[in-house]
Amino acid sequence: MKDTIKYFDKLTFALLLTLALAGILLVYSAGHSSGETHYLKQVAWLGVSLLAFVAVFSLKTEFIFRKAFIVYLVLLAVLALQITVGGTVARTRSWFRLWGIGFQFSEFVKVPLAVYLAKLLAQIDEVDGRAYLKMIMVISVPVALIVLQPDMGISFILCGFIPLVMLLKKVRPALVLITVLLAAAAGGIGWHSVLKPYQKERIVSFMDPAQYKDSTGYHIIQSRIAIGSGGLAGKGYLKGSQSRYQFLPARHTDFIVSVIGEEFGFLGVSMLFFAFFLVFYRQLRFKHQSDEEFYFVYLFNGLVLFQFLINVSMAIGLFPVLGISLPFVSYGGSSLLSLFIGEAVIFRIKINTYLT
Amino acid sequence: MYLSKRRLTPGFIKRAALLSTVLLVVLFTSLFVVFWSIQVVQNAKYQRLAMRNITRKVDLPAPRGLIVDRSGRVMAENRINFTLYLVRENVEDLEKTIRRASFFSGKSVAAIRQVIAKYRKYAMFYRIPVRSNLPQGTVVFIQSRQEEFPEFEIGIEPNRTFPLAERAAHVLGHMSEVSEAELAGLDPGAYGPSDRIGRSGIEKQYERFLKGSKGEQTVIKNSVEKVQQVSAETKPVIGATVVLTLDLDLQRAVEDLLGEESGVVGVMDLASGGILALVSKPAFDPEIFSREMAGAEWQAIRDDPRNPLQDKFLQGAYSPGSVFKIVMALAGLQEKLITPAHAQYCSGSQVFYGRTFHCWKPGGHGTVDLFTALQDSCNIYFYNLGQRMDIDTIARYARMLGLGEASGIDLPNERPGLVPDSAWKLEAFRQRWFPGETISVSIGHGQLNVTPAQLLKLIATVALRGRMPTPHLLQRIERQGKVVREFSPEFKRVDIAAEHFEKVVEGLFRVVNQEGTGRAARIPGLDVCGKTGTSQIITKENPQYKRLTKEKRFMPHSWFVSFAPRQNPRLAMVVLVENGGDAGAIAAPLAGQVYRKYFADERHH
Repeated sequence: MKDTIKYFDKLTFALLLTLALAGILLVYSAGHSSGETHYLKQVAWLGVSLLAFVAVFSLKTEFIFRKAFIVYLVLLAVLALQITVGGTVARTRSWFRLWGIGFQFSEFVKVPLAVYLAKLLAQIDEVDGRAYLKMIMVISVPVALIVLQPDMGISFILCGFIPLVMLLKKVRPALVLITVLLAAAAGGIGWHSVLKPYQKERIVSFMDPAQYKDSTGYHIIQSRIAIGSGGLAGKGYLKGSQSRYQFLPARHTDFIVSVIGEEFGFLGVSMLFFAFFLVFYRQLRFKHQSDEEFYFVYLFNGLVLFQFLINVSMAIGLFPVLGISLPFVSYGGSSLLSLFIGEAVIFRIKINTYLT
Repeated sequence: MYLSKRRLTPGFIKRAALLSTVLLVVLFTSLFVVFWSIQVVQNAKYQRLAMRNITRKVDLPAPRGLIVDRSGRVMAENRINFTLYLVRENVEDLEKTIRRASFFSGKSVAAIRQVIAKYRKYAMFYRIPVRSNLPQGTVVFIQSRQEEFPEFEIGIEPNRTFPLAERAAHVLGHMSEVSEAELAGLDPGAYGPSDRIGRSGIEKQYERFLKGSKGEQTVIKNSVEKVQQVSAETKPVIGATVVLTLDLDLQRAVEDLLGEESGVVGVMDLASGGILALVSKPAFDPEIFSREMAGAEWQAIRDDPRNPLQDKFLQGAYSPGSVFKIVMALAGLQEKLITPAHAQYCSGSQVFYGRTFHCWKPGGHGTVDLFTALQDSCNIYFYNLGQRMDIDTIARYARMLGLGEASGIDLPNERPGLVPDSAWKLEAFRQRWFPGETISVSIGHGQLNVTPAQLLKLIATVALRGRMPTPHLLQRIERQGKVVREFSPEFKRVDIAAEHFEKVVEGLFRVVNQEGTGRAARIPGLDVCGKTGTSQIITKENPQYKRLTKEKRFMPHSWFVSFAPRQNPRLAMVVLVENGGDAGAIAAPLAGQVYRKYFADERHH
């Protein structure tokens, strides 16, 4: 116990906690003008996440990797069940209610998928045809189920595992080419048969926001105005006119960066980015005991970084609006919980060396 | 216990750590650069855009110009109107707000919901007008407790008001809200939703002068203290004052004389063609259109069989009856078909084209000349004249004297009436004109129909012996004390010799002054000249005629057109009493009283 406290990466944990607390303050600011109380729920979710963190942190890493396949199967079963009987919240079936609490179940796919992929990577020398096929299947089955819900944001983020796998393992060049072709094909099919008109419009409007300034392009323009008008030091907490007068859409989720940008300016944004940088940097500094651990840390950090980059790009109009939240900061209990579970595994891996 | 063996080489691990660090540094550095560019370098641009988002322009409505009578007495002005606005942005509890709005406005909760739904697409800070003409008590109540009701704002705006209520209602006209469809065709700088526009009368005719120009305020909302701060303002400019030729004293007297009767009185100043009094009854209070009228109230006015909304002076279509004999006499003289001495025997009836036509006097008038024919309004005389003149000639003279076309008065929505002729019959019925129809037309019946405005113009032309005035209501328009438009009288010479007018005037003089049909208009010392007319609602051939005409609504309309004095005439007048019965008994004495009032007042001044 003493060792655990001694070797526990307290700085990184403090950074994560700071991000989450800052998130609550920002969610409060974002909802305050319209009288929304999302922040209260977020406080409760943070509590739950910390409990989960402790629980997962106390698990042995071997145990986690041993159960990887079973957990993965259970996940697929729940996703499939959701599509067939799930309720409908805001045009999607990605939510389900349990004891009166709304869960966005697709968020919980991230960690188990990373664990299972890490295990698979550890078992092979290089990605040959068979391994390739297997891994593509492992990733694309849950992605397909989530697309059907439909939750485009999370499906897109999960696809980030594919390039990550290929960066972490030697891959035959032909397979890289095949992946690129597959991605193009998936994009084409998705465009024609999966995406709803409103989703397509979001993507099209990203390319020419001025033309769509009354509908979806509006979001991009208003977000940029919010960030740009924040200046060096920002307008002050709760004083952002873009946020207050509700020019900003999805202020508490997709566009939370715009709220920071407007109210805390470039300095606020820089602090946020620096905190993220430190988290990523420190979480990639570790001594592992098995290959699974190594792969998991890279896969999970890689995925969070991917999500972070997409969200920030969205806010400044460098990426289409897909409904992707800022890790740790945006409103969303399931996302927070899932991220803290993943981080708990990393913290555990990092401390293993010192405890044995 | 791990399932896999360790295959990762220290070199690979080192490379991964190095590459990931490089990648992180590169990525985050780019992010800092991009955000620096947006937030610091381009800050001014985005601040301007954000400011544009929160500043809003508020229209300041301009008061409408006044409408005054010839001596400057106010007939239409503006009153301060309080409007209750709801600002959704400041709503805390929508249900509570809706209940409050319903309480303050006296409207139902459902109606409030509808209003809010209508403005759903507008920005949250848009001021939704909930109710205009808010009672003073409510205004004080809300303003004294503004902190409790942050979602409500009271707007102070000028609103049209008509202090004389129903008086001269048809002349002044009414106003109502512009529709969304109309807005597309109007200057967006001048008209916006919920603005009002003149719909009839002077309000419509001189809309572009009466309408002032809106002011504008740029308001900045300070997001902390919620204080509104005015950054720029252009003041609204009141519309121009329209001075009418009306004499409010005479107008009042005439309206009171007409009393509860339906009908029209128009009095013209012969020196200019200016209208001194113009009454159409029953009337309405133009202000009901400024209020938010209840459906039932509106329906009652619209469906009233006596048609209070119609300006009968311009829009009523009536047979001129015997008044048309003036046209016949002038045409006969000018066409040299008769001389004043030309005599005709009247036995009370005469057969034309196989059909018996009656004089109004069953026993007949005996031998009549032009003067006595006019004096006693003998039908037989004019039947015979009509028979000798074809319909197209009659129509030509009728048009020459202003019938069958708008009088040209400066009021909107005037009707032309109808002067029938053979070409019209062929067009309308694909039939030739039958000579028998000419007989009816020659005493002002048949298809012929006219408006009181046209008959006023006709009698004015007779009074002026062939100089035809254009009737008008506008004296001048003043903007900030400066006259921007002044009416100059217009007269047109009619192509009939002045001596013929003199003869007809003699006949009209006798109508009033020698025991003629208009003797009730006689005023000693003032040579009133006039002509009665009766316009049948049901034909005399109707077997029920006697019984039905005992009921007011089947009684004939009564005309009396007149002018005075005979030499150097000053006033011309048309009187129409709907269902008045005998014109000599109702229309003529009314005209007499108007002259008496006008000339008596003049003596006093």
